[in-house]
Amino acid sequence: MEHEVTGLAAAETIPARCDKVALGIGREQLDLFFPLLQRGVAVQAELGCPLRELLCGQFGIPGDYVEGRITTIFLDNHPVDDLDRSLIREGSRVTLSAAMPGLVGATMRRSGFYAALRQGISHAETAGDIGAGQGTVRLKLFNLLLPELGPLILARGILLQRDEMDRLLGDLGLGSRDCDTASESCGGGAGGGILLRVTVGN
Amino acid sequence: MDKIARIDMGAQGGPKVTVGPLGEYAGLGGRAMTSLVVAAEVHPLAHPLGAENKLVISPGMLSGTTGSMTGRLSVGCKSPLTGTIKESNAGGQAAQVLARLGYAAVILEGKPTTEDLYKIVINKDGIQVIVDNSLKLMDNYPLVAKLRGEYGDKVAYMTIGSAGERKLLAASIACTDPELRPTRHCGRGGVGAVMGAKGVKAIILDDAGMKMRPPVDPDKYRDANRKFVEGLRKHPVTGEGLPAYGTNVLTNVLNEAGGYPTRNFKSGQFENASDLSGETQAALEIKRGGSATHGCHRGCVIQCSGIYNDKDGNYVTKQPEYETVWSHGGHCGISDLDTVAKLDYMDDNIGVDTIEMGVTIGIAMDAGLCEFGDDAGAIRLMEEVGKGTPLGRVLGCGATVTGKVFAVERVPVVKDQALPAYDPRAVQGIGVTYATTTQGADHTAGYAIATNILKVGGDVDPLKTEGQVELSRNLQIATAAIDSTGMCLFIAFAILDQPETFQALLDMLGGFHGITMTGDDVVALGKKVLSAERDFNTRAGFTKHHDRLPRFFYNEPIAPHNQTFLMKDEELDEVFNF
Repeated sequence: MEHEVTGLAAAETIPARCDKVALGIGREQLDLFFPLLQRGVAVQAELGCPLRELLCGQFGIPGDYVEGRITTIFLDNHPVDDLDRSLIREGSRVTLSAAMPGLVGATMRRSGFYAALRQGISHAETAGDIGAGQGTVRLKLFNLLLPELGPLILARGILLQRDEMDRLLGDLGLGSRDCDTASESCGGGAGGGILLRVTVGN
Repeated sequence: MDKIARIDMGAQGGPKVTVGPLGEYAGLGGRAMTSLVVAAEVHPLAHPLGAENKLVISPGMLSGTTGSMTGRLSVGCKSPLTGTIKESNAGGQAAQVLARLGYAAVILEGKPTTEDLYKIVINKDGIQVIVDNSLKLMDNYPLVAKLRGEYGDKVAYMTIGSAGERKLLAASIACTDPELRPTRHCGRGGVGAVMGAKGVKAIILDDAGMKMRPPVDPDKYRDANRKFVEGLRKHPVTGEGLPAYGTNVLTNVLNEAGGYPTRNFKSGQFENASDLSGETQAALEIKRGGSATHGCHRGCVIQCSGIYNDKDGNYVTKQPEYETVWSHGGHCGISDLDTVAKLDYMDDNIGVDTIEMGVTIGIAMDAGLCEFGDDAGAIRLMEEVGKGTPLGRVLGCGATVTGKVFAVERVPVVKDQALPAYDPRAVQGIGVTYATTTQGADHTAGYAIATNILKVGGDVDPLKTEGQVELSRNLQIATAAIDSTGMCLFIAFAILDQPETFQALLDMLGGFHGITMTGDDVVALGKKVLSAERDFNTRAGFTKHHDRLPRFFYNEPIAPHNQTFLMKDEELDEVFNF
């Protein structure tokens, strides 16, 4: 039996109207979001731009942090070497990781000395069918980047299904009364969902 | 470390101990010692479980000193699993204690003519070999508990469980950690079966009255060690990633790369990988009052291990490593960390290699003995191994034997040793090492990622395909050298990125022995070890045709990249041209 890990589900595209939910949590509650963030969350993005622009320009991650800390990046399961020549499309799966142990960990490093060892799966940009405008990408955070980038990504907003939101609130020991909710235009395609913005306190 | 002990277990009248000078083996340690002794003294066609084989136990060149990360112990012999030469190493306390007792090697020779079971006590007064049949068929945890009652808590224990006594081909040798748990294993290649064949159940190492090994140049050694530790602590892998999450931090990354072998190598991704990840595991360990940060031996600053408790806060096992979580997890379609932890405990207790056993259970699942994802079924199969039933003996003899008995076509082995947790179709370069290493499929054989600093064999363009063969060769040479120092291989990350940390390692070696060491010296040592191993294997009947991956890697594309293994045979044959 083949089990394929799927990418962005149809229901995760940006709904025309959605509930925008604002939530404040304490720092000690941040790790409750880590399972979600390592499985991947849908986030809004301007499409057609290079990966570096997504990370620095849109997400607001400092350039030196991207260079020095996010040493392993995957785009649609392909290890990325060149951030400026890897383009973002609707439904792109972007995964960010710090440096990893092991020979294979070193092999996956961006432009690393051992990149040849995984040459067959390295990302190669085709530049075709890029598309433009607003859309969604699926973002995963791993290991050291979970506590470091998690607050920034959560503050920017993640797209959730209603049952995901209910589970999350349950884990946090909260109910919908604890959230500030407004229904408004989110842009993008059809479907229902929630744009959750989380502020992490000290 | 100025002496070698030889214990002839088959001597007339009972085991005979001879302690002598180092002779031609002077200056060696770890893998260099074990492989050069086996290559010189073991008949290459000897039966691995017979009297002609030898079990060589050797601490690293820097073990027993105040140096950090120096606690790896090497065990070598002709492998009953692969038929090749074998070096299997582990952490724990044994290397430090044995080195402080002054032994560069303890060599078990011969074979007892009776069914008696022995324990060997090594202390400052010498070596005693004692019959103790009360230990028969005890597994490692109760065995160590019983030995602690007699020899106390200020010693190190090396033991075999019931699998070693039964001479199962996946049997390991356990070394106790600082808390005297039998959790660190010389796992690969069936070295535990060779110890069992020698009739030795336990080795008790007591360094009471002994001191740290003194360096020739104490100031240089101390200064180099300080810089070395600073380098390890400031590096993101050795100073942050490994202490926080352990080696299992690789699960998410390998799965994302499509190189995480799933359900006996049928897919490169597991849909429940995040349930098994190091991030999930570490959070669970902390929540349950265990620990995600723990050293396997004193003097370790990386602390990549941990303590795994059950939901009630009771100890289950040490933190399962990435390869274990994979072999018992995704490889078998299992996504429950508690199940993986229980299987890890059973491996340690029975005394079997976690990679070989996990891969074997996956093959058994492929054969229909239970379904992929059947947690209870996997535990039941492990219980068969522990009981020594006919089925358990088949499983305990590893992937190749199990595949043959149950007519499974997809058996992921090289030279009859199970592949570790990286699919060579996604990461082609590691397939080169799997295929060509002298040890059978082994991810650590090409692990010392410092070849760019060592310049082993010159500069390589990492963006060219042909670079993969040269990189694998260089990695194997560098690894053979690091394995000889007694240093944990995980130091390689800091060495790769920080030339000053590599220089500190050279200065530690030089300061300890009173010489000046260069990268060329390290390379020469690695080549010497690999050449001796390769020569032994050739004399044992191995040819280039054994340096291949199983055919299914060439024939079955794997998702998500739909790739097969593309390296040509002629390219693989170039790896050992040095």
